[in-house]
This record gives sequence, C-alpha cells and structure tokens, in this order.
Amino acid sequence: MKVSLNWIREYVDLPEDLSSEKLAYELTMRTVEVEDVTNPADLVHGIVVGRILKILPHPNAEKLHVCHVDCGLDKTKQIVCGGINLYDGQVVAVAPPGAEVMWHGEGEPVVLKATKLRGVLSEGMICSSSEINLEDLFPMTEEAEILDLTSLFPDAKPGVTLAELLELDDVILEIDNKSMTNRPDLWGHYGIARELAAIFDGKLRPLPEFTPPEDVPAYPVEILDPDRCDRYDATLFEGVMPEKAPFWMQRAIWSVGMRPHNVLVDITNYVMLALGQPLHGFDQDHVEDGIRVRTAHQDETLELLDESVLHLSENDLLICDGHDKPIGLAGVMGGARDSILPETTNMLLEIAHFDAQTIRKTVMRHHLRTEASNRFEKAIDTQRCDQALGLAQYLMATLQPGARIAAYGSARTGQTETLTVDVPLEFLCVRSGSDLSAEDVRDTLESLGFEVKIHHRSSDDIKLQVTVPTWRATGDVSMRDDILEEVCRMIGYHHIKYQPPVITLNEPVRQLRLDRLRAMKEYLAFRADLQEIFTYPWVSDTFLKAAGGDDALISESYVKLATPPAPDRSRLRHSLIPVLLEAVVNNLRYYDSFGLFNTETVFLPCKDDKSSSASQDNGMPEQRKHLGIALVGDDAVALFLKLKGILEDLPRFSGVEPFRLIEDKEQPPWADRHAWMAITDLNDNVMGTMGLLAPKALSLAGIKQGIVALAELNLDYLVPLPSRENQFKALPYFPLVEQDLSMVVDREVTWGDIEEAIGKSVRKLEFIEEYHGAQVPDGKKSLMFRFWLGSDEGTMTPDQIEKARSRVIKKLTYTLGAKMR
Amino acid sequence: MKEQLEALQTQALSDFSLATDAQKLEVLRQHYLGRKGTLTQILKGLGSLPHDERRTIGALANQMKETFSDAIEERKRELLDQASLLQHPMDLTIPGKGITKGGLHPTTQMCYDLNDAFRSLNFDIYNEDEISSEHYAFDVLNFPPGHPARETMDTYWISGTENLSGKERLCLRPHLTGASVRYLQQHGAPARFVYPGPVFRNENTDAQHERAFYQYEALIVDRDFSFSSGLLLVETILECVFGRDIPVRMRTGFFPFVEPGFEIDMRCQICDGKGCPACHGTGWVEVMPGGSPHPNVLRAAGLDPDIWSGFYINIGLDRLVMMRYGVNDVRLFHSADLRFLEQFK
Repeated sequence: MKVSLNWIREYVDLPEDLSSEKLAYELTMRTVEVEDVTNPADLVHGIVVGRILKILPHPNAEKLHVCHVDCGLDKTKQIVCGGINLYDGQVVAVAPPGAEVMWHGEGEPVVLKATKLRGVLSEGMICSSSEINLEDLFPMTEEAEILDLTSLFPDAKPGVTLAELLELDDVILEIDNKSMTNRPDLWGHYGIARELAAIFDGKLRPLPEFTPPEDVPAYPVEILDPDRCDRYDATLFEGVMPEKAPFWMQRAIWSVGMRPHNVLVDITNYVMLALGQPLHGFDQDHVEDGIRVRTAHQDETLELLDESVLHLSENDLLICDGHDKPIGLAGVMGGARDSILPETTNMLLEIAHFDAQTIRKTVMRHHLRTEASNRFEKAIDTQRCDQALGLAQYLMATLQPGARIAAYGSARTGQTETLTVDVPLEFLCVRSGSDLSAEDVRDTLESLGFEVKIHHRSSDDIKLQVTVPTWRATGDVSMRDDILEEVCRMIGYHHIKYQPPVITLNEPVRQLRLDRLRAMKEYLAFRADLQEIFTYPWVSDTFLKAAGGDDALISESYVKLATPPAPDRSRLRHSLIPVLLEAVVNNLRYYDSFGLFNTETVFLPCKDDKSSSASQDNGMPEQRKHLGIALVGDDAVALFLKLKGILEDLPRFSGVEPFRLIEDKEQPPWADRHAWMAITDLNDNVMGTMGLLAPKALSLAGIKQGIVALAELNLDYLVPLPSRENQFKALPYFPLVEQDLSMVVDREVTWGDIEEAIGKSVRKLEFIEEYHGAQVPDGKKSLMFRFWLGSDEGTMTPDQIEKARSRVIKKLTYTLGAKMR
Repeated sequence: MKEQLEALQTQALSDFSLATDAQKLEVLRQHYLGRKGTLTQILKGLGSLPHDERRTIGALANQMKETFSDAIEERKRELLDQASLLQHPMDLTIPGKGITKGGLHPTTQMCYDLNDAFRSLNFDIYNEDEISSEHYAFDVLNFPPGHPARETMDTYWISGTENLSGKERLCLRPHLTGASVRYLQQHGAPARFVYPGPVFRNENTDAQHERAFYQYEALIVDRDFSFSSGLLLVETILECVFGRDIPVRMRTGFFPFVEPGFEIDMRCQICDGKGCPACHGTGWVEVMPGGSPHPNVLRAAGLDPDIWSGFYINIGLDRLVMMRYGVNDVRLFHSADLRFLEQFK
C-alpha cells in the first residue's frame, strides 16, 4: 500500500523538518515495514512549464510544427513538435535539453539533446503525458496528443517546474502489505496518521462527523444474512454529475497508485484510501427498489464488468436489488451493470460492513482480489462506516453541490464492541524487562486511542484497565500480551536493553546420536573426500524410473504431493538413489570424477492405520533418515572398492557399532548384477545396499560417459557407541617377518576364501592385487598378498620362517588348489 | 723426501677442495689414506730411512694424515651444507597438492556453528519429521482458521489428505515452529532448545525465493522470561555467525504464534546497505523474526501462560548463509552443483 505524506498531514501536524528517512525508519521500527520511499516530483524532474507563442508549419515535414515557446527564459525556445492538439497560448510541459523523457512513453528513459529535426533546430520537446510518466494522471485519448495544461492552469507562469505547478512534491511511502495483515486500522491514511501522531507526539485531527440525513425517505435495505453482514448503509444522491474531480483529489488518488476516473468514483476511492473503509457507488437506474444483502444460492451466477461469469455457492454473499436481482459480489466487486457511467444522474452509495472470513473465502475461491476485498478481509470495525459516511457526505456536499440526498437507509444487525483488558503493571515490567511507570504506559496507549484507568491497589500492585478502541478490537488486540506488544513497540524494540536470563542448569546436554551423525558427516566430507549435497524431496519421474526400473512408477509405495512443483515431480523420494542420480547427471556436465553424499529424509506411505496418540498426527507416512553416497569415475572396480572402503571405515570413524557388507539375494533394481552388496547390522538386519549402477540404469538416467557407484544406508539402524571403543593391542615383542606371495587359483576362489584358509595362522594378512593376464591360464587368476609371521618366543630364524611360509602355501594348495606363480 | 711430502700435501688438499660430492671424496680418501694409499705407502716405507730422518718424516707424515682426514671431513661438511635433493631448482609457483575436495554443505556448516554456540549455552537440539500436519503447522500456532497468515505460507499438502483437516491433513512442513510445540509436549518446561531443518513452500522461485530451504529456530521457555533476556538468542546467533558487528535493527513484526512479535533486519552484506536485488533495494535483509510465544501456543503445548513465558527466534538459515558469503541466488543451495558447493571449505 502506498501512503502520501501530504495526505497524512491533512490529519496530523508532524514536524516540518521531518526527513523522509526518519519517517520511514520510525514507522518501520514501530508499526509497519516501509519498503520504499519515493517523491512523485522526481517523475518529472527537469520538466518545465511553457506557453506556446507561435506555431509555424515545418518546411520539410507535413506532420511536424515549429513552435515558439516561452519557457520563462530571455529567449523563446524553438521546438519542433508533432502534436495534433497544439494551439497558440497553450500551456504545455517542456522537456529542455538534459531532461529525461520516455520516447513515445515506452522503453528506458533517454536524455534529451538539442538537435535538428528534418533540418530545423529543436531546443527541447513538448511532451505528451506518457512521455513524462503522467499518463495515469492525464490519460491520453490519442497517440500524438500532447499534455494540455491550459484549462487546469490558465495563468501558469512559464519557466516554473512542472512539479511545482502540479504540486507533486510529496513523500510516498510504500508499505509492505504483509506487515499489516493484522492491522485493519492501517489500511487508510487516517490510521497511519494515528500511528505517526503517537510516534511523533502530534495531534490527530477529527474527521467530519456523520449526521444522518433528516426528512428524506427511508431507502429500503434488508440484511438477510446477519452472520455475514453487520451493517449496510445506502444513500441515494440525485442530480450527480460524473465530471472530473478537482485536480487535488485526482493527484491524491494518483500519487498512491490509483487512477482518477470521475468525481463520483474518485470520492469513493478517496474515502477508502483515507479511512480504509471501502465504498461502492451504484448507478441508481440499475438498482430497482432497494437493497437486499443475502447468501448466494448454490449454482447462482453473477456477470462481472469484464463479462466473465462467476459461479457462486452458499459461501458467497451477494448484494441484490429490491427484486432480488444480484448487482454485486459483497465486499469484492460490482456486477456488470452497476458502475457509474458518464450519463449517471443518480448514485446509490453503499457503505457496509461484511464478515472478514466470508470475503476472504470468496476471494480465494474465485481468485478475485480487489482493493475493497483486501481491506474487508482484515476485519474492519462497524464504526468505520460512520467515519466513511461523514467524509463521503462532506465531499459530496463540497464537490457535488448540485446533488441532493434523496433517500437514506441503514440496516444494522450488530456492531463492534470495545473490549476491556486488565493488565498488571508488574506483568508489563517483568515481561518487557524494563522499568515502566503506569503513567508512561497510559500516555503511550492513549496516544494510540486506547483508554486507560490506573488502579493503585498498593504501591507495588498497580493494575491498568485498558479499553481497546473498536478499530483495534476486531481480533487484533484482546489480551494483556497484546497490550505488552503495544507498549514494547512504542518504546521501540531497539531501545530494550539486554538483561542476562537467570536459568537453572540441571544436567549436561548429551545427545549421542546427533554427535555420531555429525562425526559421520565430517568423516565423509573430510576423510572420504565427498561433498555433501541437499536435494529436493520431490523426485523427477525420470530418475525414479532409472533407479527403480520399468515398474518404478506403477507401485503405490510413494507419498505424493497434492499440488506438486511440476507434473513429473509429484512423488516424494522413497530412496536417495534417484535424487543422487539426478545430482550425478547434473554434475557430469562439468566434472568427470567426483563423490557426493547426502543425509536426507525418505518418505514411505503409512502402512497401518494405528490409532494415534495425542502428539502424533494421523496416518503419518514413515519418515527415515538415509545416507546416500555416489562416486563417479571411469574405473568400475576401483570405484566399487573405494566405496566399499568408505563404508568399511565409516563405523569406526563415526563411533557407531560396526556393520557388515555381505553378498545377498535381493538385488536392488539399479545395481549391476555382478557388483553389489548388502549392508547388515550385527543382527543381520539389512540396513542398506551398495554397488555399481547397472548399464541399463546408466542408460535410463542418460549417463553416456562415466561409471557410478552408489550406496544407501538407513541411518536409523546406526547404533551410537557410548564412548570410544578402540582396543589397545600390545606391540609385538619380537620383530614380525613380512612375506609376499602370488598364488594362481580358480576364478571362483575369492579373497574371502584365502582369508578364511590362512587368516588365523598368520599375524596379519593383506590383499595386494588380483591379476588376470597373459601369464595366467584361462579360468584362473593370480592373487598377490602379503602376510606377517612372528613368534612370542624369540626372533624367528630363517629356518622357522621357511617352515611357516611353506605351511601357508601347503594350506592354500590343499584347501583351494592354489599354485605358486 | 720432505719436499716430496709437502708437494703431496699441496696436491691432496687441492684434490679434496675440488671434490664435488661425497663419493669422489671417498675415492680420494682411498687414494691418499687407504691401505694402499699414497701416504700409507710412504709411512710403510719409513723403515728404510735413516733413524733421524725416520723420526721427522714419520712425525710429518702422521701430521699429514690427520690434516688429510680433517680436510676431508671439512669438505664433507661443506658439501652437505650446499647439498640439495634436486639437480635443478624447482618451479616454486606450481600449486601444492590439494588434500581433499570434499566438504559439508555451507548450510550444514552454519547449522553446526549455531549448534555449537547453543550447546555451549546448554540448549538441546531437536529434530522434527519433515512431514507434519495442519494441526502442528497451523492450528497449535494460533493461526485462526481462514486467517490470511495461513495463505502467506503456501503449503505442500500431501495427496489424499488435502481435503481433510487438523491432524489428518498432512503437509511438508512450511516452517519449523510446530516442532516447538511437539518438543514442549514431550519435555515440558522450563526448556531451552534449537530445532534446525528444511522447510517447504509452494511458491514460484527466483534468486530470493526457494521451494525448499533451511530454517533454524531456538526457543527458551521459563518462568517470567522477559523480552530483554530473550535478546541473548539474538546476540548468540549474530556473534557466532559473523563474529563481528553487523548493523541490525529490531522492529515490530506480526506472526500469529508470537505476542509481542518482532523482526530483525540486518544490513545487507551483499551490497553493504546500498541496495541490491537481494535486499529489494532497501539495504536491509529480514533474517530473524521472533518474539514471545503466544499464550495460545503455550496452552497448545500444555503450559500455563500465566506461569511460563519465553522467547522464540527463527532464522532463515539460507538467508544467513547468503549474507555470510555474499551468495546472490538462494536456488544454488539445493542445486547440488559442485561448482558452488566446493567453494565452502
């Protein structure tokens, strides 16, 4: 919402030297957020007033004229102009060289230069309203029409700035609407003026009083839905003239972002902008015999001004005429035939109170949002109708003296009541953490329109009885905490001094699980060289299919969004594999070898409808924390082994119970059939899988270059160790002897078999490499490994070493058919 | 004989000083002092000399032997002092070998920094599930039904529950605050805890708006807890995140779950307050709304608002990270783009 400081000054005296920065700052700190401060005069910076003295035809161009213009300088200016409405003596807006204008009202502003136009010097430009940002204030009827100020300002002095002539100098505050959704009183200038009066110690001037018209016939008004409408006042003005409003009113409306129309419409807008109370003017000829406010019927329709048709329901509130013909959607907008037209002579003015929720729901349902609905949905007090009636009556009498009130009707079914809140002074002091006096609190609150009575029960038991004004009593202020807020914000939060809290310490915070998970993430990032990523919970169907195979989308094992961010992203991740794949694909554009991990939630549909306990939500999907890892490179075996190594070391570095990698039966759909393993805890529960991404999955994911190794682990299975669990092993007393061996075995023989065969008979055993090649026969492979021998009795003699070594070889030959290479 | 020896010494000392490495020096040692070395041979031949001469020459030769050894050792030290592993000087401008490329997400880093700070103040860290319900996201937080504020947080409702209500209407949580009620229901008061995590909003994205982003909330609930003490949270966060004075302003703000409520803006660190797209040209960025829990929220958590009061602070973690590093597009956080993530070590 835009607020004009000139308009505000109609209602309150503010310090003359108040800077716009100070104003915006104080209002932001205490009341609402000011997002921007502008001055409309800046729109016409550099533009001056000129008077055309003489118009000559252009020698070289039929459509151009050469104008001699008095711009208040010693010499008249010669300006070439193509305007179609030029005449001698015309008062015009002139852009001299150096001023900025919009060519033909479009594009970026350009700086004007003195230049020859078709051979004739032009020392500036006679502007149309669109060329100087004033089209909303002075609408153009034709393309080449220049701005004619003669009738508005016949005596204008050439040379004065246009801003000065139009009195555009003002401070316009752009207020963030979101910061005042709770403040229906602030949606008009008077409400903001009230706040500024309180902040700057000014006095708020009263508004014109409403006096119900006497001796006029009662206009029939009936409220048939009293729950949704508390009040409806209809005033019938006869003999109205929908001419232009006086310039000051047009300027006021324009300066805060609305377009002037005619004086009748402008008055309704002006009153709304002044007070926050929407008004509506009907052409009386379209309203037959009275007003009925009623609930819409199911399937009833209403045609709007733009010829669109609304399909209504019993949740909408309608304004109908005496014959029950709908003429408007209450609080939102009028129907197709209600508006004030150039030929309108009789206007029926609606000033009403509608239920905020009803308006809000109607707005939501029909996606209609208007200045009126924005205000009604915030809950306006019924008393605002009186203020609006008073101001509207005053403006009509002043600006439309020829019109007379021919009838007036008012239906009232309820009104906003003031509230009283009892607040102990002690409460305000303790909760704000400041020493406050009852008198200061009273003065603060009274400047905002509250009434305060101080009850001294004893010297340290002082109670404030606070009466909340109706404009704050529609939901905004209702309890002592609200009063606390009023006091705090008027003191200024930035003036509240820090006081260290007094707290009780019961025990140290010990959150093992969280600590272990953090250790794990730090291990993965800093030791395992992986980069942590975040992914979206909604997964692309493409990657679900890549990871889950052809049937991935058929299954019902997803939690879905009702309104997804994209049609192919309605499913929430039930595994981290698909989101990792997407991240891999995106990064493959820039890198060919990298490692990623994420620890994020996966979602699985609720399995059973267990009755919920008090703090649980019903039908809650299962939500697990998973760890996902992706490695990308070009060597399949190396990647697999690297991933395996990362997983093998993970428990120890993270301080959790170890887990096992085993060969299992249930192959994940994304995994290469030769290279995947299951991860199990010590009780053989499968807690995850790891492996290479199968060629088919690579292809479905669109990966043409590169191999991907993936792992996924359910972190709920990780069991944090209560402390560090490393065991010290005494160093060997006598030196160990290191031996290398290369043995040729059948392809089917695994390293695991070798470990099983000799692992226990040596001090330590280490795999070095596996080799298939020219020297190794088909169906065989060579395994190279290292082992350490040792004795507790003494340093081993060459003889003992040789004996032990042959025992190892014999054992391998005997159990696995291994041969020395 | 004497002249012969003196000439030998001159030659030997010259040889030693010209030796360019330890190996050559060793050859020279053998040549002069070895079993068949020149000097050794001379000493061996002493017997054939007359007695007088034998003594002087013997003494001279022994002295020479010592001189030679010292000269060789001296030259060895010299050579070691000058020694290098490299034949040629290396290009010292070649970059060092990087240790690892891996790292934690910048938001995780920020989260851990804050966790550490709050742990040091004896706060618990609490995690709530990411799917919550209308009940916990709105009802218990004093959002009246149909209140405009419910619409300011456009929520991702879970399919199949979107037309239900309360605990049965499920959503990806649009904010973290519901977690505070869950925690208080489980643990009661007094309480000091933080609860970080991702939240989700159904809105259009641009450089300043994301559908998935991180928040970090802290709440203290205690007897008669004052607003001025709650500033502890604000100070802790700013000190911990930036470690230097950042201009901030604390202003009034409206959120249904607090009363009174405030908003903390910080000087935009991307443009240093001059105005840029990140701060919508205002020079200020909203980073931390908060306030005292609304009495209705305390009641929903099972606490008596006449006894308990508290202080909330809600941090837009992404926003804070953006300010810490000058990141100008919030969408980068969920992009999983290594070119972005690798910058934060």
